Amino acid sequence: MKTLTSLKVLVVEDEALVSMLVEDMLTDLGCTIVGPAAEIEEALRLAGSADIDAALLDVNLGGRPIFPVADALKARGVPFAFASGYGEAGLTDDHRGATVLQKPFREADLRRVLETLVGQTA
Amino acid sequence: MASLVAESRVRDGGEPDARARLAELEVALADEIRKSETLARVNQAVASSTDIDTCVQVVLDGAREIIGAAFGAFFYNQLEPDGESYALYRLSGTAPEAFASFPKVRKTEVFAPTFENAGVVRSDDITQDPRYGKNAPRRGMPEGHLSVRSYLAIPVATRRGEVLGGLFFGHPEPGRFSPHDESLVMGLGAQVAATIDSIKLNAGAVAELTQRRRAEERLKFALDSGRMGSWDLDVATKAYEASDLCKLNYGRRPDETFTFATLIETIHPEDRPRVLAAIESAIRDGTEYDVEYRVVHPSGELRWLHARGRAAQTADDGGVRRLAGVSLDITERKRAEERQKLLVNELNHRVKNSLATVQSIAAQTLRSVAAPEFFRDAFETRLVALSHTHDLLTRESWAGASLREVFDVELHALAGEDRVGFTYPSDVRLNPKAAVALGMGIHELTTNASKYGALSTPNGHVAVDWAIEDGVLRLTWTESGGPPVTPPARRGFGVRLLERGLAAELSGAVELTYDTVGLVCQMALPVRALEP
Repeated sequence: MKTLTSLKVLVVEDEALVSMLVEDMLTDLGCTIVGPAAEIEEALRLAGSADIDAALLDVNLGGRPIFPVADALKARGVPFAFASGYGEAGLTDDHRGATVLQKPFREADLRRVLETLVGQTA
Repeated sequence: MASLVAESRVRDGGEPDARARLAELEVALADEIRKSETLARVNQAVASSTDIDTCVQVVLDGAREIIGAAFGAFFYNQLEPDGESYALYRLSGTAPEAFASFPKVRKTEVFAPTFENAGVVRSDDITQDPRYGKNAPRRGMPEGHLSVRSYLAIPVATRRGEVLGGLFFGHPEPGRFSPHDESLVMGLGAQVAATIDSIKLNAGAVAELTQRRRAEERLKFALDSGRMGSWDLDVATKAYEASDLCKLNYGRRPDETFTFATLIETIHPEDRPRVLAAIESAIRDGTEYDVEYRVVHPSGELRWLHARGRAAQTADDGGVRRLAGVSLDITERKRAEERQKLLVNELNHRVKNSLATVQSIAAQTLRSVAAPEFFRDAFETRLVALSHTHDLLTRESWAGASLREVFDVELHALAGEDRVGFTYPSDVRLNPKAAVALGMGIHELTTNASKYGALSTPNGHVAVDWAIEDGVLRLTWTESGGPPVTPPARRGFGVRLLERGLAAELSGAVELTYDTVGLVCQMALPVRALEP
């Protein structure tokens, strides 16, 4: 099983304060942050081409759903989790059953989710 | 029949002269023909009469003419309030006033057989009848009564034996009514009974029909007021009857034919199995039919309906024959429910996001304060700043806020608010996310200025300028007149929020310059990231 150290995590989050919090948590866990992307175009670009091991996706980017980004990651086989204030209720049918981090979440929750994600690909 | 009667008369009369006999026979025959014609006319009039008054009057007049009675009367078999006399209904051959001054007909021995349906009473001279004069107090006809010697009384009774009343005929001369007259009037009596019976039944049916029609009108009014359509399904034949409003509920005009098959086709395919199952269960188990479903009108419009009903009629074998009920368009209610659900979800999302924001502020304030004792003040000030921006947005139902308003709420609590000067061509509308982000950024700038910068001294001044160039908002915060400024030894929360967070969130650039005259903050933010 991979460790979280040096894990390259794409962060897609459109709220500055929340993004800063997630960045701090990931830094504490020893991960490398890719992004953060606050806009869907930037997120799609990174999801399609950046060197990433996992991704944490805010479900709603300024009123636009994140699902195209999730689809792009799925196509590349990159594991991801949704971070959402909606919880699982905010997901489309295609993505029901995906890993969801309900905001607000603790660093320990993030660690557990990342470990699960990485475990899936190990 | 006429000849038989004539013969009997001749035999009774016993006149030997052939010519005289012939003449007598001719008269009798003419009389008989006249009676028959009258009888036929009366029968027809009785059969076609639609009210009891007319029927009784026709019979009285006709019978009186046929049998040559001086007068006739019909008494109802209905006791007057006094409990012993009968109600006079119709008279013939005399004005009602002729009876007005007399006591009512009572159930004397003369009258009793008639009202008890005991048979016809025919008397050549009623005053000589053994039943006459038996009853106190008058023992006979009262003083001034129409003179009656010949008397004929026929009960008018239905085939079921119910006595409706009696037909009474009289003549001042004795021996006027023959057995033949008796049989003629008896026939008429039977016909009157049948006609009255049928008129009564008919009146009952009409009354019931009227009542039912009124009830239906009331029901229709209630249904219409409640915009309810009503329907009725024949379970065996699937024949379906729908009211105009019911058709409207399915997007059909009142003049369009609307079958059960069309109804099922109109139901949204996803809801169809559920509706059919509910119908089946209501038919099979007699359970209440109560179901909400979507329909697609021919126009393509999607509406929500609520239908309720139950088995309206049960067949002999215990199965259901009809299913009937109402349908109501509940689209507005469904939309309101949908809106409310969305609002609650959205509220939950916002609350959760706000909690995450507060979590972030707490975590980063804790990281940036030099010592734990400074945490509380720094954290609370930021929380209050966030709350101010929320208040501003709530005032406009979270539709947005203007840039100047965001500045004003952050500067409001600050001493030296008047030492901040604004220059801009026009205010800028911000979406809620941009307002919250800029609000936090402006809060960090003002807090820093009042603690360490231009607003920390009495003579300091802040100039805020902005303009939009090529779709980019260029905003400059320029401090002057404060203490000399040096770049901070470590990047605090405010610096990080402005340079990294705000810039990333709003897809722009934020630069802080520690000019010796004072701090300068320059923002370049694309308008598309700010607009509501």
